[in-house]
Amino acid sequence: MRTRSGLLFVYALLAPCLLVLGLFVLAPAVQSFYLSFHDVDPFSNAIFPVGLDHYREMMNSEEYRISLRSSICFVLYTVPSSIVISLFIAVMLDARPLFHGFFRTIFLVPVGISPAMAAMLWVFLYNPVAGYLNYFLSLIGISGPQWLTDPAYALAAVALSTVWKEVGFNVIFFLAGLAAVPSELTEAALIDGAGPWKRFWSITLPMISPTVFFVSTVSVIHAFESFGQIHILTRGGPAYATNVLVYNLYRDAFENFRTGFASAQAVILFLIIMGVTALQFYVAKRRVHYR
Amino acid sequence: MKNSVTAQQQRQQRLLATLVLCLPALAHLFPILYMLSLSFKSATEVFEYPPNLIPAAFDFANYVTAIKSAPLARFLLNSLIVSLSVTALQLVTSILAAFALARIEFPGKKFFLAVILATMMVPGEVTILPNYLTIARLGWLDTYRSMIVPSAASGFGVFLLYQFFRTIPTELEEAVRVDGGSRFRFLWQFVVPLSMPAIVAFGVYAFVATWNQYLWPLVVTQTTEMRTVQIALGMFRSENEASSWGVIMAATAILVAPSILLFVATQKQFVRGIMMSGIKG
Repeated sequence: MRTRSGLLFVYALLAPCLLVLGLFVLAPAVQSFYLSFHDVDPFSNAIFPVGLDHYREMMNSEEYRISLRSSICFVLYTVPSSIVISLFIAVMLDARPLFHGFFRTIFLVPVGISPAMAAMLWVFLYNPVAGYLNYFLSLIGISGPQWLTDPAYALAAVALSTVWKEVGFNVIFFLAGLAAVPSELTEAALIDGAGPWKRFWSITLPMISPTVFFVSTVSVIHAFESFGQIHILTRGGPAYATNVLVYNLYRDAFENFRTGFASAQAVILFLIIMGVTALQFYVAKRRVHYR
Repeated sequence: MKNSVTAQQQRQQRLLATLVLCLPALAHLFPILYMLSLSFKSATEVFEYPPNLIPAAFDFANYVTAIKSAPLARFLLNSLIVSLSVTALQLVTSILAAFALARIEFPGKKFFLAVILATMMVPGEVTILPNYLTIARLGWLDTYRSMIVPSAASGFGVFLLYQFFRTIPTELEEAVRVDGGSRFRFLWQFVVPLSMPAIVAFGVYAFVATWNQYLWPLVVTQTTEMRTVQIALGMFRSENEASSWGVIMAATAILVAPSILLFVATQKQFVRGIMMSGIKG
């Protein structure tokens, strides 16, 4: 494509996409970085350079440290549990149970529901007086906690509804991974007399380990980006127990009007997510290489 | 001989899997059943102990109250307008850009592709504050525009369609050109129809992703009339928490139903869209 009219045609095709992505993704990403070194006056919008002050404040801020810890705890609560549960369900679905489509639909339905909506479905389950969660616990002799108002349990409660929603998402990928495991392998092991447990650990799991790794990294990113379910269930409380990174960023940006400080938090969040993504690419490349 | 042994074992396995899945399936379905159960209960019945999953009567009074106390239809309409517009715009901008990148040679192509791919790495939470400042400066707060225009393009959409468009044989393109057809005709009459599975899957994905957005609509909408279902529901809850959980759950049922129905109706495309989004992370 060398002619001038040809080039114009190409740019006309690219322009709408580039314009929107440039104005609303790339420019704001750069702007976040720029603002993180500045203070913005909420009334006059005047901008003052402050150097690394916001980053220094973050390092010394007890609130930010708790927020980072909550986010990491949230990852630890949601990711391993949702992976174990969804792997179990996917393996069972892969064994072609009766009513296969019916079961599959039940486990996948929450994928279409947003985390916030999922939280609304759960909110009354957590009710300490009349909710089913504590009722079930009482049946086995445990007196359940005040799920959403006790700082020791609030993050776990938020994690529970998140896991419920995330399981379906993971099952989709695990089913695809399991379908790619050659049936000759598992049948050979079956003939050799290997039980289901042995077959899972020595054939299925190694074969789908790339999928497990991939799902783990995506889930970690999802967990770091969580917001809707927290806004519905706990609003960052009680006592900052669920004040995860994105929630803290939201409060500093839109409640405390600390544009510069919030931007510095956005940059750190960006770096964390970039780090997880880079790890994913790095490991995926090596896996392909050595297979 | 050995074959019949494995066949029998496989049959046993299928039965075992069926039995094992019953309890997890029931547990997984429980929050949805519970929502429906509560939506039929009166304000006092909700707090009866021990709780009973079957309501005393299947009375739709809570649904009537919910519809009367908030413009639920308006919330659904808002979400529908925003999600349909974003999906349509993302499809058009992605198809055009992907076509240029996949089927035409021009200087700077690699650069543009890299720039578009780079946008996939930027999480929405990172751009939200600068975008809010832009929208406020434009005077777009509390409008549909504020929820539609910033999402009118998608790096993921371009990437996905780019990969599909590249698989279409060049012979086809040459045949169209020999017949005197323009590039544009090749795009609309051949590339788009041939890529329909990918386009539909991406469309469903884009629609659901927009429908489920939370933080951005929360930040840019101000009046009740402009709320999307996602944020309207949380606010409906705070406003009615003191009066009746039955009414809240009836509103939840009304607002969550489209998501569930859409999933059941488009399950195949939906799952394909999610699978493809995997590459995005």
